[in-house]
Amino acid sequence: MKAIIYSLFGLLAVSAAFAADACYQDVSLDCGQASNALSLPRCNAIYGEYGRHGNVATEMQAYANLHLERSYEYLLSAAYFNNYQTNRAGFSKLFKKLSDDAWEKSIDLIKHVTMRGDEMNFSQRSTQKPVERKNYTVELHELESLAKALDSQKELAERAFYIHREATRNSQHLHDSEIAQYLEEEFIENQSKKIRELAGHTTDLKTFITANNGQDLSLALYLFDEYLQKTA
Amino acid sequence: MKVIIFAVAGLLALCAPAFGTQCHVNPVNIPKEWITMRRPCRDSMRRQIQMEVAASLQYLAMGAHFSKDSINRPGFAKLFFESGSEERQHAMKLIEYLLMRGELTSDVTSLIQIRPPERKTWGDAVEALEHALKMESDVTKSIRTVIAACEDDNEFNDYHLVDYLTGEFLDEQYKGQRDLAGKASTLKKMLDRHASLGEFIYDKKLLGIDI
Repeated sequence: MKAIIYSLFGLLAVSAAFAADACYQDVSLDCGQASNALSLPRCNAIYGEYGRHGNVATEMQAYANLHLERSYEYLLSAAYFNNYQTNRAGFSKLFKKLSDDAWEKSIDLIKHVTMRGDEMNFSQRSTQKPVERKNYTVELHELESLAKALDSQKELAERAFYIHREATRNSQHLHDSEIAQYLEEEFIENQSKKIRELAGHTTDLKTFITANNGQDLSLALYLFDEYLQKTA
Repeated sequence: MKVIIFAVAGLLALCAPAFGTQCHVNPVNIPKEWITMRRPCRDSMRRQIQMEVAASLQYLAMGAHFSKDSINRPGFAKLFFESGSEERQHAMKLIEYLLMRGELTSDVTSLIQIRPPERKTWGDAVEALEHALKMESDVTKSIRTVIAACEDDNEFNDYHLVDYLTGEFLDEQYKGQRDLAGKASTLKKMLDRHASLGEFIYDKKLLGIDI
């Protein structure tokens, strides 16, 4: 008797874990009786318990929203550096590019959320503590704005690490290698390059600012902006 | 000791703006008589930029809806994602214009606020196309109020901005509206008798697939 019960449980457990035949069963059941609507609730894109365990699904939505926010912030920085007083076309170009990238990535993330059978929630926020945004302003001078860009790019990169960890931590319910692969290929690789590039810019500016008792400053900022116009 | 160091560091961090001057060049004064945009015109342009941003996010929500596995209309999703990027481009063009006229030297941060889109589901594709058409009509109407605000100023009729908005923006709006209205009509005619097949076929047409 016990053996039968155990084997029954075992069977149930297996079917839960691998969702075998779920859609097929729905089809068999619903097509067997005449009705004017088929519901087929288990014929969907969800697999690997996506959205059922942990917070990977909601964090992916929040990640899309974070990119959206950053995209428009970078756009405003690009605008600020392009007014007639600041007049730094190179810095403007750098921020415009960050904005374009973040925008493309948010659309890509939204598509990915729906690809995995989930819905996009534009109000979803991460459980991770956000970077301090009080008194946020885009009206910063050259080095300050690079510093902010570097910090916010690190936030995006570290958030990708966090979601990657949530998706792959050793749990019997949760190992989503598809999310891990997606993050690695589309985000993590480029983020490391972007961060290194921005850090390099701050290194250059730092030395220009202090060199020659600060006498080089105005010329250095001008030249560095010209350099960014060519390379950013 | 540590406490003192942290306190000093904290104090320095608080006063940072005051000490930060060694890293930037002080602003200079340039004659300002060439900056001629008037306040009512400028404010209505700023509102218009925010409106384009809100429209871009609403289009992304439409794209998200039609991308769902339970909806499965990638053609419509593509159309709406592209429309979202277009609205963002409009916001960028208006910003470029303000910069060309000597604006946006201050109050830049408050120009754009990100709010979640108001609506997130649509009964079918016709409903979404009709919603998109309504949104575009609202944007068109709003551009007309910007034009009015910029040409009605007693002291300064802003001919150039009005020409730019009339020529470039209204032109694009009217063409876009005609396009959406045409799509909605074609689809709605099929939906009368062939709701599910009609939407399926039209979706593939939007993807560029002939079936």
